[in-house]
Amino acid sequence: MTNVGEAVPLSVSAAQPSARERIWYPYLLIAPSMLTLTVVSLIPFLYTVYLSVHAAKFGRVTDFVGADNYITLLTDARFWNSVGTAVIFVAIAVPIEFMLGLVGALILNQNVRGRSILIPLLFMPTMMAPIVVGLLWKIMLAGSWGLISYNVLERFHLIGQTSIFASSDLALYALIFVDIWQWTPFMMLAFFAGLQALPLGPYRAAAVDGANSVQVFFNITLPMLMPLLVVIGLLRFIDAFKVFDTVYILTGGGPGIATETPSILANKMTFEFWNIGEASALAVLVWIAFFAFCNVFYQIAKKRLNAF
Amino acid sequence: MKRGLYSAPAVVAVSLSLLAGSAASAEDSFYATAAAPYKGTTIRVLDEITPLQETLSKIVPEFEKETGIKVEWELLNHFEVINKGQADMLSGRGYYDAVMLHGFQVGPMLSAGAIKPIDDMVKDSKLNNPKLDTADFIPGPYKSLAFANGKQLGFINWNYNQVYWARADLLNNQEEQAAFKAKYGYDLAPAKTIEQMRDIAEFFTRKKGEKLAGKPLESDFYGIVLEGIKGGSTFGTLWRDFIKNYGGDIMDAEGHPTFDRPENIEALKMWAALWKFAPPGIAEYSLVDVPTVMGKGIAAQTLAWSDFVLGVDKPGVSPYAGQFVYAPIPVKAGVTTPRSAEAEPSITIITAGSKHPEATFLFLEWLVDKKQQEKLIELGQGGVPVRETSWAVPAIKSSSNPTLYAAMKSTLDVGTAKPRMPKFYEIYDQLSGIAQEVGLGKLSPEEGAKKGQAEMLKLCDKCLL
Amino acid sequence: MSDEPKNPVAARGLIWTGVVIAYAVVMLFPIFWMAAMMVMPNDAMFARPTVWLFVPTLEHFDYVLNLGFSWNLLTSFVLCTVSTALVILIGTPAAYAFARFEMKLKDDLFLFILATRMAPPVCLVIPFYLIFAKLGLLDTFAGLTLAYMTFNLSFYVWVLRSFCRDLPVELEEAAELEGWSRIQIFRRVVFPLLRNGIVATAVLCFIFAWNEFLFAFMLGGETVQTLPVSIPKLITSQGVRWGEMAVVGIAALVPVLVAVFLLQRHIVRGLTLGAVKG
Repeated sequence: MTNVGEAVPLSVSAAQPSARERIWYPYLLIAPSMLTLTVVSLIPFLYTVYLSVHAAKFGRVTDFVGADNYITLLTDARFWNSVGTAVIFVAIAVPIEFMLGLVGALILNQNVRGRSILIPLLFMPTMMAPIVVGLLWKIMLAGSWGLISYNVLERFHLIGQTSIFASSDLALYALIFVDIWQWTPFMMLAFFAGLQALPLGPYRAAAVDGANSVQVFFNITLPMLMPLLVVIGLLRFIDAFKVFDTVYILTGGGPGIATETPSILANKMTFEFWNIGEASALAVLVWIAFFAFCNVFYQIAKKRLNAF
Repeated sequence: MKRGLYSAPAVVAVSLSLLAGSAASAEDSFYATAAAPYKGTTIRVLDEITPLQETLSKIVPEFEKETGIKVEWELLNHFEVINKGQADMLSGRGYYDAVMLHGFQVGPMLSAGAIKPIDDMVKDSKLNNPKLDTADFIPGPYKSLAFANGKQLGFINWNYNQVYWARADLLNNQEEQAAFKAKYGYDLAPAKTIEQMRDIAEFFTRKKGEKLAGKPLESDFYGIVLEGIKGGSTFGTLWRDFIKNYGGDIMDAEGHPTFDRPENIEALKMWAALWKFAPPGIAEYSLVDVPTVMGKGIAAQTLAWSDFVLGVDKPGVSPYAGQFVYAPIPVKAGVTTPRSAEAEPSITIITAGSKHPEATFLFLEWLVDKKQQEKLIELGQGGVPVRETSWAVPAIKSSSNPTLYAAMKSTLDVGTAKPRMPKFYEIYDQLSGIAQEVGLGKLSPEEGAKKGQAEMLKLCDKCLL
Repeated sequence: MSDEPKNPVAARGLIWTGVVIAYAVVMLFPIFWMAAMMVMPNDAMFARPTVWLFVPTLEHFDYVLNLGFSWNLLTSFVLCTVSTALVILIGTPAAYAFARFEMKLKDDLFLFILATRMAPPVCLVIPFYLIFAKLGLLDTFAGLTLAYMTFNLSFYVWVLRSFCRDLPVELEEAAELEGWSRIQIFRRVVFPLLRNGIVATAVLCFIFAWNEFLFAFMLGGETVQTLPVSIPKLITSQGVRWGEMAVVGIAALVPVLVAVFLLQRHIVRGLTLGAVKG
């Protein structure tokens, strides 16, 4: 199945790959990935679907309940609250991270000195374990004893008689801020790598033509970078929706359920109520929503942005 | 095994070995003999990490020396010992032979059939140590936790309890005492009633720049700090330190929800009032944060778990170490129902999936044996007793912190395990949310009571197991 | 050309450098504070008012080492290196194929790859736990490596594909006409151009695996204990052991920092657009 038969020395003009071979070759290349993911992801997911249509309290599968778990979820205000919270979170955090990351990458691409030191340093927030990030910002922003809480917020009476994580609005904004702090470097590095990988030819031509920076950016850089921008943006969008560690450490979904995201709710259902059937249904619902969204997004990105 | 006992030679052999055993040191030899058939086994125990268990882990290797049974002792923090322990128990995997359960976990775990009762082994004279003296276990926690539906689940292992904790240096300051007496009409002292606790909280809540015990404050100071996070043990505190002391309860004797009782509303009013004298971050504080805040000297009083105190009231940890005073949980003046105090007895049970129940049973027995309990307290220079006789152990009797132990005993005298509720977690989740909202003033006490009752009824009509 | 045009470019470069440094200082302040906490004595921590000068102590390092933290470090390292290497081996051909070739159902297959990443991990952890328990994969390196493939393989393929799109097809076709074998084409034409992308993406995958907590906690155990799993141990009844947590947090950061520092030359081409202009 390999191309050993074609490993001929350069000097000898050998037969080109046959037309038939051209067809199955790509499938061969993707086979290992497909196989791995089927085993490792599809099977557990199918099991999750199975669990979602049964009553599975405490992890023991009992009766088949059909769509009951789904109906319970879809009619639960708490579920929709979590979805709404995640939507707000993602809608604010991801675009900001994207912009800042792109701007940062463009700046880094200029004649910045000491890049070899700056890049790893700048990247640190993303390199830190999300748990540590959560604990770190707890140190900074905790009510009364947090470093920034005490020295800045309370000293200048910026938020009155409450603390950030005890206030519904402030808590969500604080979480959004932490997410931006943590993931902007990720966008920056990815986009920077993309910029560095761009072929120089078009730029040389543009220089010859006397194009200015703005024209260069919009006509050359942006189109060439678009596939990467789209992919990273989409991935980050999906991941941000699933945010868990930092929210868990900083607010636990509180105060009340003001910052309860679907992952936090699922965590409660799984590890507190042990309602595995409902938690599985939640996973499937989120999955369906994303799958639909990504399909649409993919088609649009393919046609309009030439990203795929 | 049982059949063997009925044969005459076996009976003779057993009696002889028992006699021989009592000729030497009583308990030692019992465990060594009883463990003989299980020598070489390895058992895995999952427990919670607190200063108490850290001390215990120093004693555990002696079990292997005595009996030849190896114990792999794993310690995880409060939230994880629950998650991982339950995951293992419920999946039937049986990786852990014994798992520590907090009282509130027992209801759900029992209804899931994940616990192996120990009745058979208690009746088995080859395994049961006659000198165990279970009558010596502090009765309230033991009886309420270790038995369910006529079966025994284990021995009591940890008697977590709450105590009243306050700054002695402030309460004993003469200036403050004079000012307090002038304002409230009675002497300043550790609060005996909830109203007194409120007065002291109001009195000591001061802004930066005002004087506290003669010195100007460099930052705001607060009269009280409580747990306020949604979850944790916030609701337990509200329920059993306040609501029950006001004569109320969340359900009646049959388990029907009664969250909107007038007594409950009174308690909620006091709860909301106290929050006004607490640090602004109170709604974020968990059972772990509260002792830290007290240790940092940010508040004058609190109701907190005594085992945390052991880790905070130590030189090098808190700048105020040695300046704290402890007292029983305050009661409500004029209430005739029995006094209540929040305790969380915990039990290490044998998992249904364990492959070595007998060896595990012996280990658990050995742990609560008088000898080990004494060692535990001596080594830890204090501790949280499960036995009545432990109060007399020198490390406690002549402790440098006598008020702490008096307070603990007062709580354990009335402390019990939480009633067994299969839907405990769901109920708790709702009610602790309400505790937070009422505390923050988002709901009035009346609204909170009504909402709580509605939520409970949605979950169960008869909430007891 | 004379020296003149260079100066404005150089000057602008200095300004940008200044901007970047200022941003770095502000954004990274919390991390620097955490680094200071590694040697801060407990009573100085969170003292009100804040204590800025203190006598350093090594007690936090002691405690952490006694916890067996170096073993966690090693476990994390082995697990992440192996799983990332596997991801590179399996994922690179796939990314290349999706970018270069036409396939039936290409879009669907590609979306399938991403689909594996769409459900919240919290929901999947118990099904994984139950399956692994039955297969005896709990607390094994193989088990956790497999679990990490779930999100890292899909990420890798998707991101690398966009790098592959920029590959000059003409070079490959020319080589094909010359009679080069597939492997040769890949090794000598494709790979050098793709190296940036592979390194950057692999680094990101490594980081995701390195910092992953939930699966490592639930599916790991005594044998396989990664770094992030050791952190909750520091949330004790004496409150959080912040000093020790700072040590673990920073120590977890250092290997990744070093790796990025060393590998960045594969990402940074060394040329800047600024140098190309004018």
